[in-house]
Amino acid sequence: MSDNWLTGPVLEQLNSGVLVVDEQFQLVYLNCFLQRHGSVQLDEVRGQSLFKVFSDVPEAWLRRKFASVLELQSPSFSSWEQRHYVIKLPHMRPMTSSSQYMAQNCTMLPLSDEAGRRYVCLLIEDATDTFVYQQHLQSTLQKLEHSNRIDGLTQCLNRRYWEEQLKLEVQRALRYQQPLSLLLFDLDKFKQLNDQYGHLGGDSVLIELSARVRALLRDTDWFGRYGGEEFGIVLTNTALQGAVEVAERLCLAVSSLAVTFNECSIQSSISIGVAQLTNTGERAHEVLIGQADVALYNAKRNGRNRVVAFSPGETEFLLKTTD
Amino acid sequence: MSKVFSEEQRDCLQELINVAMGLASDKLARFLNTFVHLQVPAIELVSSAQIPAEFETRYSSTDSALVSQGFLGNDGLRGEAIVLYQLENAHRIAALLGYETDSISELEMLTDISSILTTTFLNGLATQIDNSLSYSAPRVLSSRQGNVAQALLETAYHWELALKVDISYQLIDHSFNCDMLLLIPGEAVVNIQQILTRILEEY
Repeated sequence: MSDNWLTGPVLEQLNSGVLVVDEQFQLVYLNCFLQRHGSVQLDEVRGQSLFKVFSDVPEAWLRRKFASVLELQSPSFSSWEQRHYVIKLPHMRPMTSSSQYMAQNCTMLPLSDEAGRRYVCLLIEDATDTFVYQQHLQSTLQKLEHSNRIDGLTQCLNRRYWEEQLKLEVQRALRYQQPLSLLLFDLDKFKQLNDQYGHLGGDSVLIELSARVRALLRDTDWFGRYGGEEFGIVLTNTALQGAVEVAERLCLAVSSLAVTFNECSIQSSISIGVAQLTNTGERAHEVLIGQADVALYNAKRNGRNRVVAFSPGETEFLLKTTD
Repeated sequence: MSKVFSEEQRDCLQELINVAMGLASDKLARFLNTFVHLQVPAIELVSSAQIPAEFETRYSSTDSALVSQGFLGNDGLRGEAIVLYQLENAHRIAALLGYETDSISELEMLTDISSILTTTFLNGLATQIDNSLSYSAPRVLSSRQGNVAQALLETAYHWELALKVDISYQLIDHSFNCDMLLLIPGEAVVNIQQILTRILEEY
């Protein structure tokens, strides 16, 4: 291969790093890409130890890699996904990448010269673009996951995700024999609010009440929008008495302060039904929702802006009245 | 599948693979400084449709890994090598290779081991047929996800033929079992047949 006029310039112009060391890890060759990025001159570093010239390479790791290439005479690889870089170099996207250093895909190849001396060639490909795309993809996926869980208007959990969490929490509470309570609440006279202030007025009440309710909850509670103006809260590790106290606080937080919309002061209130998990089995969460719903119905029937806890026996009452 | 290769071609391939395995185990033994006993590898040609079911039972119950590496040679020799093994096995060989498990990511360890096994074996195969191979970087297709069958199904879909090589390395005090699948696309199968025919004629 005496195509030096061809391979020489190509090697020098290549947008990848090419580095060759002998069996003692002494530098034999560095192409232009590596000389420029690494701020070294081949003439000055030829014959020196790779680990001296690039002092922050992972020496033990690279020695093991090179040893396997020399001994097995087969290539070895390193991916930026597992090791961001082998030789710490700046990259050519200093403004648009979140990483300071070039992401590198490396290939280590066995070489020999005419005299049979053995070398290792380290090829370094700049994978910074891939790294940047991957970062974008990850953050997009995170946003997607977020929007898949969240109700756009109120920033509560959406119904599907909230129900999944309810189901999981119910199974967990049953397994560890911990108390669990459910609140279902409804904005009173929502239709009337919408008629009087318009749908934007109604929406602003929903947004404000969600914010007030959220501020009073713990991190471990699950707050979701169940329907139009109906919401659910899963209170983990909470028995009925504690859940009623929380509900009373929520009721007061909503009714004590009017919501301002377009310079109008809108007075609103919520009715809350509370139930504690008592049933077991596959459908326990559905029974719980049914019980909280009965209690909510009774809160409405008893005059709204109040909390009613479910007690067994009310089911029969409800069935009688709806018959 | 027996129609793909003639009886003679199949025997020839088995012989090439036996020798390649011998060369690989010799190299590994020198590298690892220990004796490597290698059972004569059982090879089998399987259609890609059969593959997932076959491996599902063996690899679905435990944590397992599936690593892919493409290879490309002269005369239209090309394909994808898949190494399947149980992670428990991987830690054994990792210790032998001098990896300290805390200082290196599991993925890096997996790709290294697979790459060493694949390239030493395939280089041995290539040498015998006066070919030489280049390789793509190894890629972990599945690890700890318990969906080996699914991952294989997705991979194997595009391949006409798979050459299944059961590999069992026995090291002193250690045993290491894995499966290697060489997935070969249709036109490369024809090229391999031509290579085999040429070798058979030379003898």
